[in-house]
Amino acid sequence: MYVRLFAASWLLLCACLAVLAWGFQAPFAYDPVGPRAYPLLLLTLMAAASLWLLCKPDLLEQRFNPQAAGRALLCVLTLLAYALLFEVLGFVIATALAAFVLGLLFTGRLLPCAISGLLMGVLLYSLFDLLLDVPLPLGLFEAFVES
Amino acid sequence: METLNFLMQGFDVATRPTNLLVALFGAFVGTVVGMLPGLGPINGVALLLPLAFALGLPPETALILLAAVYLGCEYGGRISAILLNVPGCAASVMTSLDGNPLARQGKAGIALSLSAMSSFVGSTIATCGVILFAPLLAKWAVAFGPAEYFVMMIFAIACLGGMVGDKPVKTLMAALIGLGLATVGVDSTTGVYRFTFGSVSLSDGIQFIIVVIGFFSVSEVLLMLEKTHSGQQAVKAGGRLLFNFKEFCFTFATMVRSGLAGFVIGTLPGAGATIASAMTYMSEKRMAGASGKFGEGDLRGLAAPEAANNASACGSLIPMLTLGVPGSGTTAVMIGALTLYNITPGPLLFEQQPDVVWGLIASLLIGNVILLAMNIPLVGLFSKMLSVPNWVLVPAITAISMVGVYAVHSTTFDLVLMIGLGVFGYILRKLDFPLSAIILGFVLGELMEDNLRRALSISAGELSILWSSPISLCLWGLTALMLGMPALRKWRARRSAQPANA
Repeated sequence: MYVRLFAASWLLLCACLAVLAWGFQAPFAYDPVGPRAYPLLLLTLMAAASLWLLCKPDLLEQRFNPQAAGRALLCVLTLLAYALLFEVLGFVIATALAAFVLGLLFTGRLLPCAISGLLMGVLLYSLFDLLLDVPLPLGLFEAFVES
Repeated sequence: METLNFLMQGFDVATRPTNLLVALFGAFVGTVVGMLPGLGPINGVALLLPLAFALGLPPETALILLAAVYLGCEYGGRISAILLNVPGCAASVMTSLDGNPLARQGKAGIALSLSAMSSFVGSTIATCGVILFAPLLAKWAVAFGPAEYFVMMIFAIACLGGMVGDKPVKTLMAALIGLGLATVGVDSTTGVYRFTFGSVSLSDGIQFIIVVIGFFSVSEVLLMLEKTHSGQQAVKAGGRLLFNFKEFCFTFATMVRSGLAGFVIGTLPGAGATIASAMTYMSEKRMAGASGKFGEGDLRGLAAPEAANNASACGSLIPMLTLGVPGSGTTAVMIGALTLYNITPGPLLFEQQPDVVWGLIASLLIGNVILLAMNIPLVGLFSKMLSVPNWVLVPAITAISMVGVYAVHSTTFDLVLMIGLGVFGYILRKLDFPLSAIILGFVLGELMEDNLRRALSISAGELSILWSSPISLCLWGLTALMLGMPALRKWRARRSAQPANA
């Protein structure tokens, strides 16, 4: 059932992308193939595979579990928030917060999660930014460092 | 003798203090990552890739690091398979079949040391195979033109679909998705923007690290979320810690056989360690017949998949080094790493960068010894690490993934893209699509299109160039064989089932 749903939506996506891909045209022909043929070939093959799955989906043992899906959604939202706040808040604070929330989601207790989150933010920052020279955003701390 | 000279040169590179240190570190990290349930070699390599860059390692050192991690993962996967009955990575599923019963019988120590030994035998056989065959194949591969390369890549994709067997359409679809993702960005021949949706960040394509980390680390985090409630109890590694001579002799033939088979399967582009371990386990079971106690703790059932998966891990380096076509998901990641260093793996690599190639091969031999020496005495330490709770592990994986992606371009867009790909990967995994096919497709994508277009430029648009040379005809034949195999097997199974029904 879910495979069918996926195949159907993928087929739709293929169609949209094909319309888009039709517009790829080089102003001057550099090679006999051009930029359009290969994506269109892939899309055609993908559409054929989706059609196959639409007609003959294999059996899936997975059942939809609303509770698990809810938790997965929470997890995705946390990750998204982490990504969006990464530069705004800076690595240390964003990591501490995200590690705390993720820890709670993974059935950790309140205090240990808070401690591990803080430690992770500080330790990973010093490991990557100071030791390994990977530049990480300072965010809110920037004011302190500048002055 | 030329090979021997090169090998000595390789040892010279591999025994430099930094490279030895890096191999040691990689072996340790690899074992830990391979052991943690859910994290496989691809995750290990993907997590260490940004690190290798950040440290400014030279290419041969970076490659040695990644290879050590790869081998280490194959060693580490068996620890959790034996003690927890949870395979640490896909290739050690078969190990858990006989390893865990042995551990429950109080023979955990024997199982662990014997499997380490068979891993060692397997990878040593395969490394010797690499030394013997890789230079030969490299010489031969110089004859490959763009048309042959294109067909070779089709063969690689067919190996994925044909060998997995039970879900060929999904595998094909996954590979196509990977190929499709690789078309995003500016077209290298004509400069036309494809599928960028007007976004500047997408104009030079989706970065390789973002795809790997998104598909593997982020989707893994989401998958782990479902398993948080099932607490597992590790079996204590007790009793006699080392196997005795009799047990070693009993399984030695199995190790050699499986090592050879694993090597051959590993060298096929596209077919990886998982298939090798499953196939050797089955054939050992058939050979042992009624005398075996397979599934209840047969030592041979433990030795076969372990030897095979390590052998195929080394074997998969052959197509990577000589043809530039990855033999498994992990080597696909390694090719990505090499291209980031501006080194294109392929037949010329042996001539142009002998330090890289032979240093890597020599470090495989050294890494094996390190891993064996590390794994037998340190099993206690490693099994303690299995008890790191998820609420520490998962945030750490997430934060390191973020850093890895951020290090590429330093944009928030990349982070969001990574999470988007991760969610997509999670959905695909739930629907039973093999993710390693996507990575393989993504790595091959650009190569494949370039070679196809170059071939057609040579022939001025004549399609027949794709099947005009003997090499490409041969590869088309092999591709057809690979694709036909599942159908043939089904047909034979049906034919043998019919008399039973009648």
